[in-house]
Amino acid sequence: MAQEAMSDISLEGVHPTYIYKVVLLGSMLVGKSSLAYRYVKNDFKELLPTVGCSFFTQTLNLEGGTVRFEIWDTAGQEKYHSICHLYYRGAQAVLLVYDITNKETLNRAKLWLRDLEKEFLPHEIVIALVGNKTDLAAEREVATEEGEELARTKDLLFMETSAKSNHGVNDIFVAIAQELLQREREKPSALSPRGKSTVDLGESRTKTGCC
Amino acid sequence: TDVNISNSINGLNFMGILDARVGLQNLNSGTPRSFSLPEYGPGQLSSALEDSHSLKSVDSGIPTLEIGNPEPVHCSVLNVKRKQSEPEIVPDRAFQSACTLPSYVPPHSLTSEQDHAVRKSSTFPRTGYDTVKLYSPTSKTLNRSDDISVCSVSSLSTELSTTLSVSNEDILDFVVTSSSSAIVNLETDETHFSDVTLNSSKETNEQNLQECCQDTDVDSKRKILGPFTNFFARNLFTRRQSARFEKQNDVGWKLFGKVPLRENSQKDSKKIQKEYEEKTGRAHRPLSPKQNVRKNLDFEPLSTTALILEDRPANLPAKPAEEAQKHRQQYEEMVVQAKKRELKEAQKRKKQLEERCKLEDSIGNAVLTWNNEILPNWETMCCSRKVRDLWWQGIPPSVRGKVWSLAIGNELNITHELYDICLARAKEKWRSLSTGGAEVECEDAGFSAADREASLELIKLDISRTFPNLCIFQQGGPYHDTLHSILGAYTCYRPDVGYVQGMSFIAAVLILNLDTADAFIAFSNLLNKPCQMAFFRVDHGLMLTYFAAFEVFFEENLPKLFAHFKKNNLTPDIYLIDWIFTLYSKSLPLDLACRVWDVFCRDGEEFLFRTALGILRLFEDILTKMDFIHIAQFLTKLPEDLPSEEFFTSIAAIQMQSRNKKWAQVKRMLIFDN
Repeated sequence: MAQEAMSDISLEGVHPTYIYKVVLLGSMLVGKSSLAYRYVKNDFKELLPTVGCSFFTQTLNLEGGTVRFEIWDTAGQEKYHSICHLYYRGAQAVLLVYDITNKETLNRAKLWLRDLEKEFLPHEIVIALVGNKTDLAAEREVATEEGEELARTKDLLFMETSAKSNHGVNDIFVAIAQELLQREREKPSALSPRGKSTVDLGESRTKTGCC
Repeated sequence: TDVNISNSINGLNFMGILDARVGLQNLNSGTPRSFSLPEYGPGQLSSALEDSHSLKSVDSGIPTLEIGNPEPVHCSVLNVKRKQSEPEIVPDRAFQSACTLPSYVPPHSLTSEQDHAVRKSSTFPRTGYDTVKLYSPTSKTLNRSDDISVCSVSSLSTELSTTLSVSNEDILDFVVTSSSSAIVNLETDETHFSDVTLNSSKETNEQNLQECCQDTDVDSKRKILGPFTNFFARNLFTRRQSARFEKQNDVGWKLFGKVPLRENSQKDSKKIQKEYEEKTGRAHRPLSPKQNVRKNLDFEPLSTTALILEDRPANLPAKPAEEAQKHRQQYEEMVVQAKKRELKEAQKRKKQLEERCKLEDSIGNAVLTWNNEILPNWETMCCSRKVRDLWWQGIPPSVRGKVWSLAIGNELNITHELYDICLARAKEKWRSLSTGGAEVECEDAGFSAADREASLELIKLDISRTFPNLCIFQQGGPYHDTLHSILGAYTCYRPDVGYVQGMSFIAAVLILNLDTADAFIAFSNLLNKPCQMAFFRVDHGLMLTYFAAFEVFFEENLPKLFAHFKKNNLTPDIYLIDWIFTLYSKSLPLDLACRVWDVFCRDGEEFLFRTALGILRLFEDILTKMDFIHIAQFLTKLPEDLPSEEFFTSIAAIQMQSRNKKWAQVKRMLIFDN
């Protein structure tokens, strides 16, 4: 489903590089940008409000291959909702983020989920439900079980994180990468959901995994 | 010494700095007194002002380095030194002295003295020259600041530069150099510097007595200004000129007395050291900054003095002659290198300073033109070729707010009263929400309470995330409440639009250039323009139309890059959304963003897209080598050091015509097609 490595990889032991588009979705102020910033720069700071979308990349080496994430960090304000499908179109993975100190953000996440179900086939996309801000445990409004329950019924990955105290951030991205690689193995010849752009993208945006 | 007095009177209305100097001479030099100097009441103030009318007429209305005083100015401290051998005289109210601090003299006896002095000064310009001259530039400087320049205030308010004002051989230079303390530094004169500082601090008490009321005032102002000084130095504040004027004087005065020398030397000890060496022995200082520039170039490189070839210690075996010779040679090479480097640096600084002089000159002229010719005849002139050209150069900060207001207009007929009403309503809502009050009367029905609450909370959070590096919009910052008020009032004025992220940046830029109510009027009218309405209402269809129109001109202007973007499936929404929503204020350096706003006010929405193409054109070579994600990353986070001239040249090279169709026509066509 991702753009697999170029066709000239035939050498044994050379891992292909997979490029995946990962989109962060969720209500405003749940910490989407902070999660991305923590994951990519391993830092936490006050970030400017996201207008439209901002972009990050991160490469990780796993047993099954090298994964390069193209992270799309979207604006969370409700008002931007109507342009959000611009961003998650063609994604291979979505981090659906809510704030454990704000029950309303979990409800919003459920709405997002409905949108995603309309846009994607069930196994076309990896969705991870992420409860952020565990550092604010004292103000928790959403129990861990609640998130787990939702994730179980909808077959999502689930993790609670804190971008501030760097808890679980790396893990969730690794889990997504592994899940994506797993699916890659299950259907090695699957076509990319990116449609007509696949050929171009495949050529220009993948590399052999030797680097 | 008649002239002495008159000239010092001349400077008196400018308080602080001048007085410090007067007092200084008084105590330390023990100049024999022959006159008493009148206290400066309001009456004298005005006469003093009159006295300096000639200076005013020169005034261009903007800080400029070029001040047309041809005569050299002596530093008071030098005089002090010269006269140190003379008997010390304790200042006394009964004494009549050319330099007596003003309040020592009984007011009634002064009026005539004052008149006399003033008259003399105009008829008798040159005698007693050396002490006299000291004061005139000061007064002149402050005079100028009076009229205009917010920019100059800015530099005054930084502690560093204020310290420099003490050290500066000519306060004039300092005040007018609006944005760079480093360059001011070039002109400081260390010799005078230390003397003045030391002496003036001794004087503080005495001066405090006289000006205690101003003093407290100053204190509070300083506190306010403290953390934001760097920002002020960026020439962005252009309004509230009269208030600024006071501030400037006050701050200058206060810091003059209190800021310890050390702070300065810490910050730039190297440069000061150089300047010191360079200028020792110079009794006469050139007034013109250009002369200063030259002087800076002439200086002998000095860093080499730190590099000394020592003899080998006696307890070590002697070097072979050959080796010693080699080492000496190496040493000499190093010295030559160091000298070269220093000369180069000096030349660079000279060039910078000259450029700054030129720039400030041209800004000064531009302010004159804007204030005297264009603004009074706005309706007839705003579309003329000449004005449009001048407009393209960038509007000087001091008139920027006015021009923006006029250009944006007030189609919505918003009055200050309406703003007050909206604000009052917003405050009511905040209160009822914070007290957990029940649903307030629902004129904006359809917007749930939760939504509204979230949006109010969002405003609060976004305010402190607006230009966080300026530190003026954050909680406790001077413009935090202003920004909050404008955004809150807008959500009450237009509940159908409400607050959309990105608005805070637009409001903030307006606040930096306009008073609160005027900023609100400009804000509301600006957001009411078709392009802004389309975006802030997140009207997806209309936004796509704008993007499509943009792509027409993109392909026309930059076909190669356009193809590359197409190939990489890089659509304009990726980068345009942020740029258009915030009118570039979030993605470009603030000074550049303001210039983009200038022309946006002139040309309308079309210029926003032209700017986008200018950016793409500027980075075309880099972008064609990048893949999708890197282009996206690059364009959503532009380099911070965009070269402004190249940037505008690049924009100018973009033709907003496609097959003889202009932007508006292309857009209209596309709208019809949909």
